[in-house]
Amino acid sequence: MIHTMSLMHDDLPFMDNDDLRRGKPTNHKVFGEDVAVLAGDALLAYAFEHMAVATKGVPSERIVRVIGELAKCIGSEGLVAGQVVDICSEGNADVGLDHLEFIHIHKTAALLEGSVVLGAILGGANDQEVEKLRKFARCIGLLFQVVDDILDVTKSSQELGKTAGKDLLADKTTYPKLIGIDKSREFAAKLNREAQEQLAEFDPEKAAPLIALANYIAYRDH
Amino acid sequence: MVFSTVLTSSPQLYFPKTTSPIIQRAIRTCSASFSTTPQRISNSQFDLRTYWTTLIQEINHKLDEAIPVQYPQQIYEAMRHSVLAKGVKRAPPVMCVAACELFGGHRLAAFPTACALEMVHAASLIHDDLPCMDDDPSRRGQPSNHTIFGVDMAILAGDALFPLGFRHIVSHTPTDLVPETRLLKVIAEIARAVGSTGMAAGQFLDLEGGPNAVDFVQEKKYGEMGECSAVCGALLAGASDEEIQRLRRYGRAVGVLYQVVDDMLEAKLDKDINGDNKKNKGKSYVAAYGVEKATELAEDLRAQAKKELDGLEKYGEKVVPLYSFVDYAADRGFSVGDQAE
Repeated sequence: MIHTMSLMHDDLPFMDNDDLRRGKPTNHKVFGEDVAVLAGDALLAYAFEHMAVATKGVPSERIVRVIGELAKCIGSEGLVAGQVVDICSEGNADVGLDHLEFIHIHKTAALLEGSVVLGAILGGANDQEVEKLRKFARCIGLLFQVVDDILDVTKSSQELGKTAGKDLLADKTTYPKLIGIDKSREFAAKLNREAQEQLAEFDPEKAAPLIALANYIAYRDH
Repeated sequence: MVFSTVLTSSPQLYFPKTTSPIIQRAIRTCSASFSTTPQRISNSQFDLRTYWTTLIQEINHKLDEAIPVQYPQQIYEAMRHSVLAKGVKRAPPVMCVAACELFGGHRLAAFPTACALEMVHAASLIHDDLPCMDDDPSRRGQPSNHTIFGVDMAILAGDALFPLGFRHIVSHTPTDLVPETRLLKVIAEIARAVGSTGMAAGQFLDLEGGPNAVDFVQEKKYGEMGECSAVCGALLAGASDEEIQRLRRYGRAVGVLYQVVDDMLEAKLDKDINGDNKKNKGKSYVAAYGVEKATELAEDLRAQAKKELDGLEKYGEKVVPLYSFVDYAADRGFSVGDQAE
């Protein structure tokens, strides 16, 4: 729900102004800007309501903790921070790697981090284990965006399901632009390795889905 | 029936076919005897103004601390612009604190939730003012958020303030005062109030609904916040289910009452300035029913709100702030904050 609402708001005319998302017209194109804003707000609220009300078999302290954690990930210290810096960087030729990493760690990785950490807390992880998973998520979050940047340059709109070539058109700073396609691919491989290192001490069978996720993100073609 | 409305229906929208419950109840209590004045300290001796302004100062201070400017500055400045606006009455936090104290809770337990209510309230107002929504260039006598910071920053400021409210409750509510199970109920209550069955619904119908949707819109937009604030206070203090339902009805009545009187004051101002009631921004009770009926409705809501508190005599003078609040909403005997909202 949170992911969807952030995409809905992101696609709005005054934000990224996207007509296409997940292979379909964007929400505001179909329902109007006003409804897209409100529907996003409603989804955001409902996500928290749902967590508070529908989580069963978990002590209240943990549910409260994950609510706080999720709120932190999607707000002005997480997702929104990334979006703000992204907006303020557009058209700016001086955006360096650090800056780009800030954007991606907050804009893309924050929600992944939140998801993984929430799961860990709900599953009863200790603090050390939570931090390992947090690091795992940050790696694959950044990895996701690096691959996204590469795909934007190399694939068509139809294959991607969203508008391709946008980054170049918008003069956005991307990894391929900063360090070239080859180095971007290298960086992606490094991130994938680092991510999986965090899972080394866990039961391989139980860690398998997360490992598979990391590989999927690294090798996806859309 | 005086207040019945025939609500237009469209293929995509559902409108309740009858008048909203709160107005039906208000009509029924119209001819009932007025609620008795409590034996304890009478309202005239209670200094609501001082109580309120003291709380405003506390809340403002805590909100200021809760949203420090850090990197990236723009978003924090945008958030602070709306949350720390001058002259804000802080009615939701005050109701929350008063409701909490009514049931024996400590205001320290209520402050984080009170702040959160203001944050989500500010978030919904920022989005309401956007060009694609109400398109308001000003709010509370100041330029609205998007006119200063841009539409994109305003959208994000709202998107940041909603979760900040929840986070603030979690990080700042002392768990020795409020067990986590109750905290979850508070969070669920606020989430419900701002969501698709609450304020978002009201705003949607305000924009897309026909002219006859005024009752539903007002209840959803204003009644909801009042209801939520009062209920959260009660939840924090560990009130019983029955007591919470009373506060729910109380809060809803006061919220709507407040708006009805606002509409009346605005209509009067219009008439004084322009000589007629031609201005009808969005949905107004006066525009829909006329001044006389709106006045009647206000009195009915006043009686109804007080009636809900009458069942709480065992709490003695602790009920007085909420009692006085009703009279303030109706009479506006003094001004709170520098400017009207």
